[in-house]
Amino acid sequence: MSNPYIPVPMRVSRIVAEDPERNLRTYNLLFENDADRERFTYLPGQFCELSILGKGESPFGIASSPTEKDHLRFTVNRTGSVTEEIHYLREGDIVGMRGPMGNWYPVELFKGGNVLIIGGGFAFTTLRSLLVYLMDHRDDYRDITVVYGARSPELLLYKEELSAWGERDDLKLHLTIDNPAEGWDGLTGFVPTVTKELSPSPEDSYAVVCGPPIMIKYTLPVMSELGFPDDRIYTSLERRMKCGIGKCGRCNIGPKYICIDGPVFSMAELRDIPEPV
Amino acid sequence: MVKLKKNELDRLICRLAGSYDVYAPVDIDGNVEFARVSSAEDMDQSRTVTNLSPKEIFFPKDEVLFEYDADGIRPADSMDRPIAVWGIRSCDTKSLMLLDKVFGSAIQMPKEERFQDPYWKKRYDGALLFGAACAEPLSTCFCNWFGGGPFATEGMDVHVTDIGDAFLLNPVTPRGEDYLESLDFTAEVSESDRKAAAEIAGSAEAVMSPPVPIDGLDQLLPGLFLQEEVWGEVSAACINCGACTFVCPTCHCFDMQDEGRNEKGRRLRVWDSCMFPIFTSEASGHNPRSLSRHRVRQRVMHKYSYYPVNYGEYLCTGCGRCITVCPVNVDIRRTLLKLMTHDGEDG
Repeated sequence: MSNPYIPVPMRVSRIVAEDPERNLRTYNLLFENDADRERFTYLPGQFCELSILGKGESPFGIASSPTEKDHLRFTVNRTGSVTEEIHYLREGDIVGMRGPMGNWYPVELFKGGNVLIIGGGFAFTTLRSLLVYLMDHRDDYRDITVVYGARSPELLLYKEELSAWGERDDLKLHLTIDNPAEGWDGLTGFVPTVTKELSPSPEDSYAVVCGPPIMIKYTLPVMSELGFPDDRIYTSLERRMKCGIGKCGRCNIGPKYICIDGPVFSMAELRDIPEPV
Repeated sequence: MVKLKKNELDRLICRLAGSYDVYAPVDIDGNVEFARVSSAEDMDQSRTVTNLSPKEIFFPKDEVLFEYDADGIRPADSMDRPIAVWGIRSCDTKSLMLLDKVFGSAIQMPKEERFQDPYWKKRYDGALLFGAACAEPLSTCFCNWFGGGPFATEGMDVHVTDIGDAFLLNPVTPRGEDYLESLDFTAEVSESDRKAAAEIAGSAEAVMSPPVPIDGLDQLLPGLFLQEEVWGEVSAACINCGACTFVCPTCHCFDMQDEGRNEKGRRLRVWDSCMFPIFTSEASGHNPRSLSRHRVRQRVMHKYSYYPVNYGEYLCTGCGRCITVCPVNVDIRRTLLKLMTHDGEDG
């Protein structure tokens, strides 16, 4: 029987510092063993536990898309002891990985509809996975709209890709920062406000909202106001996690475990769960 | 049913020890808990409820998940002999069945497809459990709230009644039946033996307080979730020491920790407790359960609402250990009664 507690080895193939303070770094990882790579299939929204042996494990949303077949990508914010250790990794180093874990954004359900992606700060990781996946299956979806905000231009993730996406005519990309900044020609204002002003149509549309708790808290009501029904608004939740397989008890919210019943939930599902965000 | 004279118990234990790792209640510095035994002499069968629960046999306080060194990761060497337990009470065999639904088992629940815990399964799936009838239930025993009783047999392979000079061994499962048939030193059960057992059962039942009906508690609790006042009341005395969660036979929260330096070390899982603020404290500083009353609420909700939603029964067997061990006299029965009679009005 397979042992869900054993990490598989992956090699760091590329590291990109995302912000000037270098607190946000993106890691591309390659499977060391072919068998592990072949077994690993995932969809946008799922996460993995990354292990630094001797230090511990933490969960990270997968930022790559399953359509990018060669590597897995994770963006790691230096916050605690495990992320600190991950930041010491160099290209060529080995890191442990368990996954994929959790559920995913319902990309099958979205087919034939418009998709609105709303993200804030460094929570754009699994949203990038989703966006790349949708763009790689472009014909399956109608309008794809992205609203992505950060405190300042430097804190937007994946800047090169953002400018490339901005050039495309089959994608509406709206970038916003909290306060005006020199050289910034995008929007200014908080994500909920910007979303409200853009006033996207709820007709045949699905919304995916992912960001810091405060952003989610103020954006979800805006979506309802715009007429998006609860079962067409999705978000991804986070909690402290350990096992990732629904046993250790940490990420329990209501009768759900974020690690196996989530992290992706529709607003309709969250209505029954008090204080989810 | 067969009879085992008390002077033959040691023979049974030795026979078991030939093919099983045998566990039984043992007095360890005044604390009775389940430990490995090689003879009947090692046992202390005097307690109705052992200080620590036998969940530890199947889900140890700390357990190596794997070891690692420069050559890679190796799953921990695990036992290769099955486990037999002598003297386990029905509240505790029931609790193992409840834990088995979480860790993965032969009990087919819809959610079992997801992940099974290989460490738990290796221990629990082949275990042979000799359960002990309770002749003298304690004032803290409330197994009858959850459909149990001093002579319940759920989760046992063999039900054992102490009738003074002998034990009556009653098979509950085919596994138990097969094992009893393999023994050549048991005796036939006489009519007077049966009568003696029935009398003991009758007087044990008589000692138990009538059960408090808690049907519907699981339905009621979600409506109380946001009523801060009532959780403040039921958690007022609690000092969040976590003792209740460690003695509880159904609490299963754990932490995973790494031990080691440089290239060599191991990862363990260790019991953890939802009573501790650090349990849910996130690296950002945010803690969704930073208040004591919210942690108490989590424990109550998990046992009496969330688990029932997922598995159709309460995650409590009424063993009463949490009542006995609590340093500030929190009584879970009082907590449940308070919640059930709460009028529902809250500021």
